[in-house]
Amino acid sequence: MIPGKILNFLENLGTIAVSGTRDANLRPHVHYVSGWDVEPDKQTIRCSIHQAYSDHLLSSLEENGQFALTVEQIGSHETYQFKGSYVGLDQPTSADFAAHERMRDRFSKAVNQVFGLPADLGRAYISGPSLVIRFSVREIFLQTPGPGAGQRVFPPEERNAGR
Amino acid sequence: MQEGKLPDEIKPVMESGIPAIVVTCSADGIPNATIISHVQYVDQTHIALSFQFFNKTIRNVRENSNACVALNDVVANTKWVMDVQYEHSETDGPIFDEMDMRIEAIASASGMAGIFKLRAADFYVVRSVRKVSF
Repeated sequence: MIPGKILNFLENLGTIAVSGTRDANLRPHVHYVSGWDVEPDKQTIRCSIHQAYSDHLLSSLEENGQFALTVEQIGSHETYQFKGSYVGLDQPTSADFAAHERMRDRFSKAVNQVFGLPADLGRAYISGPSLVIRFSVREIFLQTPGPGAGQRVFPPEERNAGR
Repeated sequence: MQEGKLPDEIKPVMESGIPAIVVTCSADGIPNATIISHVQYVDQTHIALSFQFFNKTIRNVRENSNACVALNDVVANTKWVMDVQYEHSETDGPIFDEMDMRIEAIASASGMAGIFKLRAADFYVVRSVRKVSF
């Protein structure tokens, strides 16, 4: 299960997210994210994506199932990467659209405060959901810039591993 | 789709200070998505990325040279998506020096001076570039 601190980050703090897949030739692909939500099992994330960013998305997931989602809080730079396996494809629900709106609000405020860009530009930049990728989280990595970047936080790394 | 040639209009996007995205893939097929502070324009067919501390990206491109880089132009409501391939790294020279100065400026502006330390400039050839706006 995703730890409580990170659930809180996903629910209340993350302002921008991107996802990645790879195809059969090990070529990676980027997919901008319109919003995210955690399912009640606290293990499966629903990741909304606009059609414009879905090139290679479904073909890659059906071929190998590998999915990576990175969520950052603009300003503090607090960042986590979630890696896991494709569970399925859904149409966006009202809850997914609500999650998209929450992200859009936080993003527009953040780019206004940090980069001085008008909030309406920030809102327009986050496109609406066209489809939802459901994936089961296998590992979570801290990606906040600094000495701990890259550390796996879920499942926790064993301190004496390799000794 | 523009095959491997960067248009002039992409330069100001790289210089905007808005973070970019890099997606790589390990040799055993696990994708990795990272937000980075800067993408450096080298010439019409090359970019450079900073090697600071995003170690998984660095490891991945050394075992599988394919990468995907996306630039954000919030003002124009446009993203630029580039398929690139890692070529080599440089630890000195004009591109390294320019990136070092720019990264230090970004770090100072974002309250992270001293954390963003440039170890190398990683050079990539651009295989394709496309503009996404709607």
